[in-house]
Amino acid sequence: MKELSSNTRIPLSNGITATVKQKLGEGGQGSVYRVEINGNDYALKVYNKYPSRAFVRNLEDNVKKGAPTKHFLWPLWTVDSSEMFGYVMDIRPKEYVDFSKFLVAKARFASWSAMINASIQITYAFRELHRKGLSYQDLNDGNFFFNPTTGDVLICDNDNVCPPSTNLGIKGKCRYMAPEVVIGNNKPNNLSDYFSLSVVLFMLFFNNHPFDGKRVADVPCLNDAIERNVYGENPIFIYDPNKANNRPVRGIHTNVIIRWPLFPDFFRQAFIEAFSEDVLHDPNKRKSDNEWLRILTQLRSQTITHTCGNETFVDLDKTFTLCFNCQKSIEKPLMLTIGKQRIALYPKMKVYANQTSSFDDMFTVTSEVIINKNNPNIWGLMNRTQDKWKAVYPNGKELEIKPNAGLPIYKDVEIQFSSHIKGNIQ
Amino acid sequence: MNPLEAVEIARRQMTLFFIVDTSGSMNGEKIAAVNTAIREVLPEIADISSENADAQIKVACLQFASDVQWLFKPADVEGLTWTDLNAGGMTVMGEAFNELNKKLSRKEFLDSPTGNFAPVLFLMSDGQPTDEYRKALDSLRENRWFKVAIRVAIAIGDDADKNILEEFTGNSELVLTAHTPETLKQMIRFVSVTSSKIGSRSSGIGVGGGSANPEEESKQAEFAEQVKEFKDENADLEALSDGF
Repeated sequence: MKELSSNTRIPLSNGITATVKQKLGEGGQGSVYRVEINGNDYALKVYNKYPSRAFVRNLEDNVKKGAPTKHFLWPLWTVDSSEMFGYVMDIRPKEYVDFSKFLVAKARFASWSAMINASIQITYAFRELHRKGLSYQDLNDGNFFFNPTTGDVLICDNDNVCPPSTNLGIKGKCRYMAPEVVIGNNKPNNLSDYFSLSVVLFMLFFNNHPFDGKRVADVPCLNDAIERNVYGENPIFIYDPNKANNRPVRGIHTNVIIRWPLFPDFFRQAFIEAFSEDVLHDPNKRKSDNEWLRILTQLRSQTITHTCGNETFVDLDKTFTLCFNCQKSIEKPLMLTIGKQRIALYPKMKVYANQTSSFDDMFTVTSEVIINKNNPNIWGLMNRTQDKWKAVYPNGKELEIKPNAGLPIYKDVEIQFSSHIKGNIQ
Repeated sequence: MNPLEAVEIARRQMTLFFIVDTSGSMNGEKIAAVNTAIREVLPEIADISSENADAQIKVACLQFASDVQWLFKPADVEGLTWTDLNAGGMTVMGEAFNELNKKLSRKEFLDSPTGNFAPVLFLMSDGQPTDEYRKALDSLRENRWFKVAIRVAIAIGDDADKNILEEFTGNSELVLTAHTPETLKQMIRFVSVTSSKIGSRSSGIGVGGGSANPEEESKQAEFAEQVKEFKDENADLEALSDGF
C-alpha cells in the first residue's frame, strides 16, 4: 500500500468522500491519516495489505452494529476498493493520553477519583461490548487513552473485535493474554477478556504487572519459553498468599510496594482471588466485568476527601483508618448501606444512580454529602434527582426529601429512594 | 512521596547492539551513510522506548578496524547523542566476535536488575576479516544470549563476505545487501526500527500457538518475516549494481 498524499479523495461505504489531510502515524498493520469528511476531522486507518475476507466482513458487521458505548473509537464507515481497505473513526482529542505513558510515569492521574473513574469506564465499556455478543481479544496497554484530569477513557484498535472464539488472526501480547491463550489451549473469548481486564485494572492502580515480582525479575533473559512459563503455564501473583517466591522487590517494584497497602482489604482481596492459582487456570471462575464493576464502584464509595484536603480510602470494616497523606487517624464515618453497596458518608462523597435506583447507571450523581453552612458538625445528604425520597426515623417519624433538598445524616435513619430501593445509615 | 506520583514501572532492558566494520574500505560515503542513518534513527528508537511499558531500549556500539572499541556501552536511547564513527585500518572481525561474546553476559552488559529481553545484534561490514575469525564465531554461536538474539546483518557492497554474515545471522534471509548510500541508510533505518519494536515488547502470541520451529524464538521469526516483506517490496534495491 503506497502512502496516501494529502488531498487524495477517498470514497466511503456510506457514499460520501473523505479528503486526506495528513499522516498521523504508522503501526504494524497499517497507517492512520487525518481526513476531512463534510467539514469535520476524522481518523482513517488503512491496512498495509488487503485483509482476509473474514476480517473485512467482520469489520463491516461491526460498523452496522455500532459502538457499544461512547468510549470506543469505533469503525464508523469502511473504505473498500480493489487496492485498499480501511475504516474511519473519530479522532482522539489531544487531552487523552496513552495508558503506556502512565505506566512509564510520563503521565499521571490528577486524583484517585480520576483513576477510579477510568477503571469504572473501562470495565463498563467492556461489559457492554460483551453484552453485545462481542469480545475484544487483545486488551493491552496500547489500547487505552485516559484523560488524566477526569479519568475519561477512550478505547482504540477495535478492528479485532469479533464474536468470542472467532479467529481473525490476532496476535496478543503475552503479558496481557490469559494463561490458556498463552499456552495455546484456547482461542481468546469473553473469559480471556476477563483475565486481561483484571491485568489492566491491576496495572492501572498499582503500576506493576501482577506477575512481575522477584521470580520474573531474576530471569536474566526473558525468552519465549520463559515468557510462556511465567505468563502462561505457571503464573504466580506477586501477593499470592500461598506462594511467597514472587513478591515485589524493593528498588524494582517500587509502585506496587507503596500503593498495595493503601487500598482497603476487600479491594486487595478481589485481586488475590482473581489471580489465585485456582482461578488463573479455570477461566469459568474469573470475575466478570459486572463483578469488577461492583468492586470498583464500592471502592469509589470508600474514597473520601480528608480534612487535610487530600483523597484517601477508608476501610468500613475497621473502627479507624489512617489517612495515607497526613497519617492522621480517621474515625469510621457513618455509612449508607443500599443492598450490597456501602457508602462512606463523608463530605463531598457522591452517590450514583446505580446505587439509589434500579437504573444501571454508574455515572449520574443522584446524591452527595455536604456540610451544613451554619453548623459544620452537621452533614447532610442532598437529593440531586427529580424524585421525592422519604426518610424514616427510628421513632417512626417520616420526612419527605424533595429534589435539591437535604437530609441531616443521623444513625439509624432509613431512606426510601423508591418503593423498592431503601438505604440505611449505620 | 505522594503515592499518586508513581515511578516508572519495572521495565526489562532490551539492548540494540550496532556492530560496525570501520576498516579503511569503509572510509568515505559508506561510513558517512552509516553515521547519518544511525544518527537519524536514534530519536525514532527513543520514541519506541519512551512509551513502552514492557522494556526500556538501550543502544551499544562496537566498532572494529585494526582493533575493537566500544563507541559506547549500553546506554538509554532517550537522550543518547551519536558520535561519528571514523574509518581506517584492518578488519579484525574475529576480535569483534570475541569481544561481543565476552560482553553478552549477565555479569557484563546484560546486568539489568529488572532482567532483559533478548538483544538485537546488528552487524554491518563491507569486507573480509583480516584476522582468524573462525574459532571466535564458533564460540560466539554457543553463547546463550547470541542464540536467542534477533540477529541481522547488512553487507555493504559486493566485496562483503556474505558467508560470514550468513553464519552470524543463521539465516541468509537476514542478510541484506546495500549498494548505494541511500539504500544503506534506508536499510539501517528499517532494521533498527523493526528490530527495536519487536525485540522490546512482550512476545506475541498468535492464536493457536507460537513459531513453527521450536528452536526459533517467535521474535526472531516475526522479524525474519518482516525482513522478507521489506526485501520483497524493495527487490529493486538489492538488485542494483554496486555503487560503492
